[in-house]
Amino acid sequence: MRYENRQPDETVNYSTEHPLREFAWLVFGLLGVIAVGAALIGFFAGEIAARLPYSVEKDYAQGIAKHWQDKPRDASAEAARTALRAIAAKLAPAMNLPPGMEIQVHYSPEKVTNAFATLGANVVFYRGLIEKFDSEDAVAMVMAHEIAHAKLRHPAASLGRGIAVGLTLSLISLGVGDGVAGSAVQTAGVLPLLKYSRNQESAADAEALAALAAVYGHVGGARDTFNAFAKLASPGAAPVTILRTHPLTAERIAAAERLAAERGWKLDGERRALPPALARLQQEKRDKHEQNERASGKR
Amino acid sequence: MEIIAGFFNWIVFLVLLALGYFVGRWKEHAHYASIRKREAQYANVLAFAVRYPPDVVTPQDCRLVSGSVVISSDYFKQFVAGLRTLIGGQLSSYESLLDRARREATLRMKAEAQRFGSTLVINVKIESTTVSGGMRKGLPAMEVMTYGTALKPAAARAEPTG
Repeated sequence: MRYENRQPDETVNYSTEHPLREFAWLVFGLLGVIAVGAALIGFFAGEIAARLPYSVEKDYAQGIAKHWQDKPRDASAEAARTALRAIAAKLAPAMNLPPGMEIQVHYSPEKVTNAFATLGANVVFYRGLIEKFDSEDAVAMVMAHEIAHAKLRHPAASLGRGIAVGLTLSLISLGVGDGVAGSAVQTAGVLPLLKYSRNQESAADAEALAALAAVYGHVGGARDTFNAFAKLASPGAAPVTILRTHPLTAERIAAAERLAAERGWKLDGERRALPPALARLQQEKRDKHEQNERASGKR
Repeated sequence: MEIIAGFFNWIVFLVLLALGYFVGRWKEHAHYASIRKREAQYANVLAFAVRYPPDVVTPQDCRLVSGSVVISSDYFKQFVAGLRTLIGGQLSSYESLLDRARREATLRMKAEAQRFGSTLVINVKIESTTVSGGMRKGLPAMEVMTYGTALKPAAARAEPTG
C-alpha cells in the first residue's frame, strides 16, 4: 500500500459560481416574489376591510372617539374645535358620505404639524398644523382631505392591510431570522404598502378638491395647503417617491392642477379669512414669537 | 443633508453590504493563497483517516495533535445566506468559508505534528461547532477543529536488562 497526500481538490467542496450571481437571483427573484405576494395580500386584505359594514368599524372605533371626546379642553381649544366642526359641516354635505357615517372632528392643542383621519370617521387636527395656514380655504382643504379618507374607508383598509401583511412578513421573517435578510424581507413587503398609502393620498386629494370646488367655488385652498407643506419639508423625509407614505408635494400640486383643468375648476379665487377661533391661535403664536424676539434683543 | 438623513438606513445597509462583499472577497482570496502555500509547505506531513497505523514495524511515539480555527461570516455572505434559507438549496456563500476553515484547521494540526517531529498523523477527525447562536441569531461564526494521532518513530530506548 502507498500512502500519499496531495493538494486538496479545489473543485468539489465549494461552489465556484460568482457570489453576485446568487445575490442577484435572491434579491430580485425572492424579494420580488415577496413584494408581489405582500402587495396581493395587502390588496385583498384592504379591499375586504374597506367593505366591512361601516357599523362594524364604528363599534370598533368607539374607544378612539371617546379618547378624543373626553380629553380636557380649555376655552380656546373648545372654540377651535367648534370652528373646525363648522368647516367640516360645510364640506360634508358636498362629499356624499356613506349612510351612517358622521364625521367627528377633534382638536388637539399640541404643536404637531399634522392632521389625520382614523377609524370611525374621527378626524384630528393639531394646533401646530392650523398655525401654518392663513385662510379658511387652506384648513378646508386638509379637512376635506381627511373626510375623504374616512369616506373612502382608508383607515379600515390600512389597518386590514397592515395586519395581514405584517402577519405574513413576520411568518416569513421567522424563517430567515432577525438578521439583515430579515429586515430585507420586511422592507420588500412594506414597500407595496407605501404604494397603497400614496394611492390613498391621491384619491383623498381628488375628493377633497371636488369638495372645495363645490363649497368654495375654487380650489385655491389646495394651493395654500401645498405651499405650506412645501415650506415644511421635514428633514427626515425621503426624496424619492417609492419610500414615501405621501406623494411628493410637487406631484400633488401637478395632479391637482391637472384635475382642476379637466373638471373646469377655478384654480384661484377669493380666500375666506380664518374663523376667529383659529385666527387667534395664529395670533398667539405670533405674539409669543415677538415676545421672544424682544426678550432676546434685550440681552 | 436632507437627502443623506432620509437615506441613512439605506446608505448604512449598502455600505455594509459593499464592505462585506469587497473586503470579504479580498480576505478570502488572501486566505486561500496562504492556505495553498502552507499546504505545499506541510506536504511532508501526511494525514489520514485510518484508525490503525500503517504497517510500521518500529515502535512509535504517539501524541494527540489538534488544530482549530474560529471563522465568522461577513455581512454579504450573511445576507445572501439569510435569503437562501427561505427557499433552501446550497448555502454556497458559506461553503467556501467552511472549506477554508477545514483546511486551515488541518494545517494547524499538521504544524503541531511537525513541531512534534512527526510526518504522519492518523485517525484524523474534523469537527465543527457553531459559536454565538449560529445562523439564526446574531453572528454566524463557527469553529472547525481537526485532530488526530501523530506518530513518530520512537527514539531508541535503553532496553531493560537483567
